[in-house]
Amino acid sequence: MSSSMNNCSYQFWDERRGKIQSKKGGWIVGKGIFNHGYSMMDDLVGKVSYMQVVVLNATGRLPERPVADWLDAIHICLSWPDPRIWCNQIGALGGAMRASVVASTTAGVLAADAKSYGIKPLIHGVRFIQAALQDFKRGLSVDEIIRNECSKHRGKPHIMGYARPLAKGDERIVAMERVQQKLGLPVGEHLQLAGQIEQALLNNFDEGMNINGYMSAFLSDLGYTSEEVYRIFAVLVTSGVTACYVDTRDKIPDTFLPLRCADIEYSGTLARPVP
Amino acid sequence: MTTERRQVESRNDVFVERTATKIWQEIENPQNPYLADSCVCHGYDLLELTQKRSFVEVFYLLFRSELPDTDEARLLEQLMIALINPGPRHPATRAAMTAAVGSTDREHILPIALSIYGGSHLGAGEVEPAMDWLRKQRKHDPGQLAHELIASSTPPEEGDWHIAPGFGSRFSGVDPMASKIANHLSGLPGKHETLSWGCAFASALNGHSLGWLAPAVAAAVFTDLGFSPRAGAGLFQLLGAPGLLAHGVELANKPVTAMPFVKDENYVIQYE
Repeated sequence: MSSSMNNCSYQFWDERRGKIQSKKGGWIVGKGIFNHGYSMMDDLVGKVSYMQVVVLNATGRLPERPVADWLDAIHICLSWPDPRIWCNQIGALGGAMRASVVASTTAGVLAADAKSYGIKPLIHGVRFIQAALQDFKRGLSVDEIIRNECSKHRGKPHIMGYARPLAKGDERIVAMERVQQKLGLPVGEHLQLAGQIEQALLNNFDEGMNINGYMSAFLSDLGYTSEEVYRIFAVLVTSGVTACYVDTRDKIPDTFLPLRCADIEYSGTLARPVP
Repeated sequence: MTTERRQVESRNDVFVERTATKIWQEIENPQNPYLADSCVCHGYDLLELTQKRSFVEVFYLLFRSELPDTDEARLLEQLMIALINPGPRHPATRAAMTAAVGSTDREHILPIALSIYGGSHLGAGEVEPAMDWLRKQRKHDPGQLAHELIASSTPPEEGDWHIAPGFGSRFSGVDPMASKIANHLSGLPGKHETLSWGCAFASALNGHSLGWLAPAVAAAVFTDLGFSPRAGAGLFQLLGAPGLLAHGVELANKPVTAMPFVKDENYVIQYE
């Protein structure tokens, strides 16, 4: 134990009381607004893209413009205006309920902080491909990497980044490969391995890569950690949620998928008197 | 890349036609099937519940599917009172106050505060892990376990140490309020095996400036009352919601100057 814990000292807290120590930046009135050492008005505004600043704020590093343009494009791939998608439906329900666009959009974004879709699978996708590359470099074959991962799921090909939910195949990868090529961004060793894993999965399970697998490998090649990826994509689904909100907000209230009483199946205890 | 294999085909997953619930039944009005003539909670008519049962009993019923006995209702009610307000210094309450003083729309104050109250440090995010941990560990001797954990764990260089989910230091010391609440609740009539075990565990930690934290107190009571760990985070949020909202509302008509704004000399930019 540290002595501070033994002594029940609160000096550590007193040193921080009433003060903010920022490693990010801030507004110094009369001098300017600073962001990770950049003067925002002099160095960033009009000179870099918004997406470059998003990454700067999330990671502390300003990416090259082509990388930011790739991120811009993949945000388009990952959020579209279909209210059947869970986060989008929350936006639609907000519109039907006349909640504000901000409340509805942030509620949808919050919903996408989910394990089965949205943002969190990216953490596991990045962790998987980074660990897989380490295993590959240690001498494991692609088949062994797949077998080890499948063994965690009773032999099923449940590998984060592969086997898209609801549908097989992923047209978004084709579009993003086109973007990547146009921007002159290379295929690195994570993405190469991801392609080999996909080929093996197609041969053995008829399952391919999904957009998570592609972006996890691509971003790993750029040196981002799983936590950094989670932070960069914090509001990943925002535009689709807003679109679905607007669709119902501009219609008659409560007309989005209205339910009769009998549209909910009651499977609980039969009627009984209150004791 | 295998572009030729990117043909998209539906998996044709089978979805249910209707969402099912065991909690609530709405009996439709004969003239309009969208309107409910009556509502039933786990078999009990809602209006009959309003006449015969307390809020706490119906709260318990919602999550446990049966009404509580007297001891269970008293334990839950006293926990609800004990945790009704995280206090004006808690980050979640400060979020409510900060939103309110900034004239955020009133309906956003509580969701903002509850989002922060969902955190995994002293928040709802610590409750489910604490429930899982308590259920797993309560068969072990609490004193022995505390000794082993302290011997095998390394505290952080700085800041508080949570040696187990919901147990640790607060501002480098033992949180007296969390301890008092736990001790009081464990003295109530009824069986409180998890709470009693937690008191013994916390007592064994006290000499190391560690002890109960509010999320574990809630977790222990929820466990003893039979709530699912999956409900733990949300229940903790519900219990703290009144205080979060009250503090927000208190500042909702005040100018931004009603809360401190850190002076420039106390705002330090330290690039790595």
